[in-house]
Amino acid sequence: MKPTTERLVDDYLKQLDSELADLPRLRRKEIVEEISEHIAEARAASPSQGEAEIRTLLDRLGDPAEIASEAKERFGVQPRKSRALEIATLLLLLVGGVVLPVIGWLIGVVLLWVSDAWDSRDKLIGTLVVPGGLLLPLALLTIGTSAGGGCSTPVPAAGAREAAACIDGSGGINVLSLIAVTVLLLAPLATTAYLARRMRRPTATAL
Amino acid sequence: MVAVQDALLSQMRRGTLQYCVLALLAKEERYGFDLVRGLAEVDGMVTSEGTIYPLLSRLRRDGLVESSWQESTAGPPRRYYRLTDAGRTALEGFRLEWRRFRDAVDHFVERNARS
Repeated sequence: MKPTTERLVDDYLKQLDSELADLPRLRRKEIVEEISEHIAEARAASPSQGEAEIRTLLDRLGDPAEIASEAKERFGVQPRKSRALEIATLLLLLVGGVVLPVIGWLIGVVLLWVSDAWDSRDKLIGTLVVPGGLLLPLALLTIGTSAGGGCSTPVPAAGAREAAACIDGSGGINVLSLIAVTVLLLAPLATTAYLARRMRRPTATAL
Repeated sequence: MVAVQDALLSQMRRGTLQYCVLALLAKEERYGFDLVRGLAEVDGMVTSEGTIYPLLSRLRRDGLVESSWQESTAGPPRRYYRLTDAGRTALEGFRLEWRRFRDAVDHFVERNARS
């Protein structure tokens, strides 16, 4: 079994490494390496290496959690958990209505409005563009393709245009409705991207 | 001390610490342990020595300091930090601003300030 002093140092470095988990891999490695060099240097500097000396040395370095929170702040890393609810909100708004018709989307709306990650304007956009998220465009798309032959026989007067708008084959879709469905599909996606970008960082509490 | 003042002081310390590091490195290159102890010697600057390392890492990523390994007579090789040109420029810029800021605050809060 290792002497107590070695174990103290090992435990300290291990704890530091796990506290730094949210950091980019390279930064994490760098910080752990340098602190372990610091410890080695300090130990080389003083010949007596009792448990008390090591504990003092580690105390001076500080709590691994404190070092990690400093590192996260210096590198602007968000704590992972705090965003889970916001991500769930965005997913529910987008596809909640499809998975659990209407209700899933409504839950998303409630979560959106109680969240403090967005301001009222964002919340309004999130609710109105487009109500139901992907439910409406997907429903339209399903109806459109299953109905088939949506393209009426070209009326001679409007001839050329209608013909061009008509896609040959089983499920011919009118260009206008195609555009409408595309817009309805893209709008909720754009809203999701917008809200994801506008998501406010958790306000930094006192240090 | 009142909580607000505590938070303010710790923010000011955090914000200025990186320039203290740059200033220490402007004189000569140093290895981590030496640099950290140099900062900790001055009362009130650093409470947990370990928190300097994330700062050094950030300064290196921003290109304000660079590091290189050098042989040591006392043991294993050491990672030395030195200021880059960008670091020197940043320090100079801060020096000017800091003097102005310090004088401005002194002007109002010093007990013997000229009014």
